[in-house]
Amino acid sequence: MTNQTKSQFIAVASITSELSAVMVVAKEISLAAANAKAIAFRAGDKAKGFQPITDFINELAKETIELVTNINIYALVLYRLTVNEFQKTVAYNKFELAAKLAGDAVYAKSMQEPVEHAKLSMQDCQRQFKRDVSQLLGQLEAVMHHARAARVIAANSRIEASQAGEYLQSLQAVAESVDKAAHTIHDNVQRCRIALSIYRNS
Amino acid sequence: MKMTKIYEGSHQWIMFGRDEGKPSNIIDTNQYVVRTANRCLLLDPGGAELFAPMMAAVLHHAPVDQITDLFASHQDPDVISSLGLWDQALTNAKLHAPAFWEGFLRHYSCESIEYVGIPDNGGTIKLESVELQLIPAHYLHSSANFHVYDPQAKILMTGDVGAAIEGPDTPVFVENFSAHVEKMRHWHQRIMPSNQAKRVWIERVRNLDIDILAPQHGRMFKGDDVKRFLDWFDALQVGTAV
Repeated sequence: MTNQTKSQFIAVASITSELSAVMVVAKEISLAAANAKAIAFRAGDKAKGFQPITDFINELAKETIELVTNINIYALVLYRLTVNEFQKTVAYNKFELAAKLAGDAVYAKSMQEPVEHAKLSMQDCQRQFKRDVSQLLGQLEAVMHHARAARVIAANSRIEASQAGEYLQSLQAVAESVDKAAHTIHDNVQRCRIALSIYRNS
Repeated sequence: MKMTKIYEGSHQWIMFGRDEGKPSNIIDTNQYVVRTANRCLLLDPGGAELFAPMMAAVLHHAPVDQITDLFASHQDPDVISSLGLWDQALTNAKLHAPAFWEGFLRHYSCESIEYVGIPDNGGTIKLESVELQLIPAHYLHSSANFHVYDPQAKILMTGDVGAAIEGPDTPVFVENFSAHVEKMRHWHQRIMPSNQAKRVWIERVRNLDIDILAPQHGRMFKGDDVKRFLDWFDALQVGTAV
C-alpha cells in the first residue's frame, strides 16, 4: 500500500470519527435549547427576548444532526470507494507485472485486454473519488455555516440574558454552552475539510 | 516459475511451482493446471502474492479467455487469496470450491466469477470431454476439503495431504521415499486434526487407480511411492498438538 493510499484511508476514516463528536455536541445543543426554554418560561417577561432564541437554537441543533447523519452515510460510501480504488489499483499493477513476466509466452498478448480494462476501472474510481470528495466538502461547508449561525445566536443570547434579572446567570450559562458547542463543531468539521481538501477535484 | 508437464494425453496436466521471485517469508506452493483443447482449469491457484508469476506462467499454455475454471481445495490464503485478482482478470469463469466456505471465500471478492459450491459428498468438474472427480477429504486438514481425481490421467491432487515444506530448489518428485518421510512427519502430525478422517480418506483413495499423487506443497509421489505414502500415512498418529 502506498503512502498516498494510506493517507486516503486515514482521511476518510477520520471523517466518521470527527463527525461522531460533532453529533454528540449537536445533541448537547438540543438539550441546552430545551433547558433554556424552561428557564425562559419561568422568567416570563424578564426573558421575553430569549424565548424565540431557544426555538432557533433547537432548530439549528436538529438541522445539524440531520446534516451530520447524511454526511456519515456519504462518508461510508466514500470509504467503500476508497477500498474499491485500492483493489483496482492493486489489480492493475499485478496485471501489468503479469504481462511483463509473460515476456514471449505464446499467449502473452491475451493479457492486454485485462490490463487495459483494469487501468480504465482504476481511473474511473479515482475520478469518482475526487467528485465525491468535492460534494462531501460542500456538505461539510453547510455544517460550518450552522456552526457560525450558532455563534451569532450565542452572542444574541448573552445580550438577552443580561436583561433577565435573577435569571441572568442561568441564561448566560446556556449562551456559553451554545458558543462552546459551536466552537467544537467548527473545529472538528474544519479538520475534516483539511484532511479531504487535498483530494478535491481540481 | 518452474513448469513441469506431468501428463499428456487427450488433455494435459502441468505443475507450476518453485517460484524464484517469491518472497522468502511466504510458503512455497504447487499449482496445477488441467488443459483441454479450449479450456483451462487452475487447481489451488495460490495466494495474492503469487498471482502475477502464476498468470504469466499460465500464458505459456492458454490465453486468458480460456481460463474458464478455478478449483480451491479449501479456504486457506495460500490456496486461493488470489481470487479477487482472478475475479477482475477473467470474464467467464467458475470457481469450484466447498459450498461450506462460500461466505468465507467471498471475502476475497468474487463478483464476476460464478461460485459453484461443492456439496459435502463431492461432485465432478466437466472440462470438455474430461470429467474430474471431487473426492471428499474433510478435516484433512480443513473441515470442508476436497481433492481432485482424474481417472484418465490417474492423478490425484491432494491439497495439503502429502505435503512437505522444503527449499525452492527441491525436485518436483520424491526420489527417495525413506529419506523424504522425515520432511513430512511433523507437518502431517501438526496440521491434520483427525485420525478417523485420515482412515476414511485412505480407505476411499485406496480404491482409486493412482499414478501420481500431487500435493500443494513439496514433491509429488509417483508409481510405488503412492502406495508407500498411503501406508506411511495410515500408520501415522495425527492431531498431536493437544
